[in-house]
Amino acid sequence: MTTKSVRPGGLARFFIERRNTRLAALLFFILLAANIWLNPARFMPHNWGSVLGLAAPLLLASLAMTIPFLAGRGSIDVSVGPLMGLINVIIVKGLIMAAGVTSPLIIVPAALLIGLASGALNGFLAAILRIQPIVATLGTYLIYAGLALTVLPSPSGSVPAWLAALAGPWSILPVGLAVLLWLLVKRLPYYDLLMATGSDDRAAYTSGVDVPAVRFVAYLLAGVFASLAALSLTALIGSGDPNIGPGYTLIAIAAVALGGVGLAGGVGGMTAAFLGAADIFLLQSMLTAFNVSTFVLQMAYGAVLVLAVCLNSEKLKHLFKARAVPR
Amino acid sequence: MNTVLTHLAGNRALIAYAGVILVFVVGATLIPGFSSVFSIRAMLILASLLAIAALGQTLVMILGGIDLSIPFVIGFANVVFASLYGGGMPVWLVLAIVLVGAALIGAFSGAISAALAIHPLIVTLGVGTVVQALVQIWTRGLPTGSAPPFINEFVSLGGSVGPLPFPWLIPFTLILTIATIFVLRRTIYGRKLYALGSNPKAAELALVRPVVMWAMTFAISAIFAALAGIFLLGFTGSSSAGVGTPYLFQTVSAVVIGGTALIGGRGGFVGTIAGAIVLIELRTVLIGIGLSEAMVQSALGVLILLLVAAYGRDQHIRNLI
Repeated sequence: MTTKSVRPGGLARFFIERRNTRLAALLFFILLAANIWLNPARFMPHNWGSVLGLAAPLLLASLAMTIPFLAGRGSIDVSVGPLMGLINVIIVKGLIMAAGVTSPLIIVPAALLIGLASGALNGFLAAILRIQPIVATLGTYLIYAGLALTVLPSPSGSVPAWLAALAGPWSILPVGLAVLLWLLVKRLPYYDLLMATGSDDRAAYTSGVDVPAVRFVAYLLAGVFASLAALSLTALIGSGDPNIGPGYTLIAIAAVALGGVGLAGGVGGMTAAFLGAADIFLLQSMLTAFNVSTFVLQMAYGAVLVLAVCLNSEKLKHLFKARAVPR
Repeated sequence: MNTVLTHLAGNRALIAYAGVILVFVVGATLIPGFSSVFSIRAMLILASLLAIAALGQTLVMILGGIDLSIPFVIGFANVVFASLYGGGMPVWLVLAIVLVGAALIGAFSGAISAALAIHPLIVTLGVGTVVQALVQIWTRGLPTGSAPPFINEFVSLGGSVGPLPFPWLIPFTLILTIATIFVLRRTIYGRKLYALGSNPKAAELALVRPVVMWAMTFAISAIFAALAGIFLLGFTGSSSAGVGTPYLFQTVSAVVIGGTALIGGRGGFVGTIAGAIVLIELRTVLIGIGLSEAMVQSALGVLILLLVAAYGRDQHIRNLI
C-alpha cells in the first residue's frame, strides 16, 4: 500500500479537517432544503433575523457546552441550562422589574459577569478542587435552578425594546459576538493548549502545560458563552421564566454530540457545535411545519441523535474499512 | 492505630455511613418528630426506592459508564405497567413484559456504547428520549390505570411485616443489598465488572468480552429502574411518564456520595445505600427547617458539593502519569 501525501486546499481541506462534522453538515443542507421547500416565506432574507433569533439560544448554549468537552477527561458543564435560566430571571426580575434598570450598558455587562462568576465557580470545583466534573456541575445545576425559582417563582415581566430586538432584526449581535470571541480564542496560544490537554492531558502535562489552569479557563469560557445564550433567550421569550433554562442542558449535549464534538476531548469546535445545534433546530422547525405533537418531535431528535453518533463512530468506520480492504 | 485510621478514612462507604448518623443526629435535634417511627419509616421507604433505582447506576459506574436513561425507564415502567394492568392483563404477564422490555432497552444502549465506542452519556440520553416519547405517543400523554393492591401494600406507608412497623419494601431492599454484595464479591460477573472498570484493555486481554458485559450491566440497570418505576406506581397511586425525572441526578448523587468513582473499577452498592439515605435525610431536614422546594434544591446542591469535596476528589494529573 502506498500513501500519497497531497495537501488539499480550500474547501476540501475544510472538510477533511472536520471529518467528524461531515455528517452534521450533510444533515444541515438536507434539513435546510426541506425547510425552505416546506415554508419558503419563513426563510426569506427579511426573516433571517428572527429565524436566527429563534435558533440563537440553542446555538450559543451548544457552543458553551462544547468548550469543557474539548478539555477532555470527563470535563463537562451540565449547569449551562440552569445558568441561562438564572441570568434570565436576574435580568428581568432583579434589574428590570425591581431596580428599573433598562440600559444595555448595565444589563449586558451584568449578564456577562454572572456568566464569568459561574464559570469561575465551576472551574474551581471541577479543575482546581478536582470534584468529578459531572458531579461538580450537577451541584451548581441544582443551585442555579433552585435560585432561579426563588428569585422568580413563576413566569412574568417584560423586556425593553432593545433587548427584544436581539431576537429579531439584531439577533446577529449576540451570535456575532460569540463568533468573534471564539475566533479570538482560536488565535491565542491558549487554544493549542486546550486541544493538547483534551487530546492527551498526560502528554500535555509532561510537556509543561498547566492542565488544571487550562481546564479552569475552559469553564470560564463556557460561562461567558452561556451568558450570551441567556441574553438571546431573554430576548426570545421577552420575559422572565425560571422553568425554561434547565431544558437547554440536555438539548445542547445532544446538539454537540450530533455535531461531532468528541466527549473524550480534543475534537470539535464552534463549527461542530453550531451545525449540531442548527440540525436540531431545523428538525424541530420542519416537524412543527407538519403539525406533529411534541412527543413525535422528541422521538425524532432522540432517534437522530443515536443514529448520528453511531454513524460518526470511529470504530464503525474502522469496521467498514476492514471489510472493504481484506487483509 | 494510625494505619487503622488511614484505612477507615480510605473507605468511602464507611464515611458515607458516618454521614447517615451525623445527618440523623442533626435532624433529630433541629426538627421535632424527625426521629419518630413515622418519619423514619417514610425516609426508609423513599431511600429504598432511590436505592433500587440507583443499583444499576452503581454497577454501570463501576464499569466506568453512566446511565442517563434511568428516569425514562422508570417512566416507561410506571406508565406501561399501569396501562396494561388497567387494561385487564394478568399481573405476571404485565410484569414480564415491562421487565423484559426494560432489559432490551438497557442491553441495546450498553451494547451500542461498547461496540461502537460511543460515550454512554449520549447513547442513554438518546435512547431514553425515544423511549419516553414512544410511551407518551402510545398513551397520547394521558396515562391511565393503577397498580394492583398487593404492590400498593408492598410499599405503603402504613404497611407492616408481621409485627414490624414497615412495609415489605424494606426487607426486600435489605435482601437485594445482600444479594448484590454476593454477586459483586463472589461471582465471575462481579470480578469481570471490576476488572473491566479498572482497566478495559487488560480485561479484554484476560478474555472479558466488553460488549457482552456492557449489554448485561445496562440491562440490569434498566431492570432495576423499571422495578423502581413499578414501586413508585404503588407509592403514588397513579401513573405519569415524568415520575422518574428527579431520579436522573439523585441516582448519580447517591452513587457518588456512596464512594463509587465515575472513572470505574471502584465502589459498591453498600455505599450507594448510605448515599441514598443521606440524600433523603438531607431533603427531609431542609424541608423540615422550612425552606421552600426551590431553596431545598439549591441547598442540596451545596451539600452534595461539600460532601464530595470532602472525600470524593479525583487525583491530580501529576499522579496519573
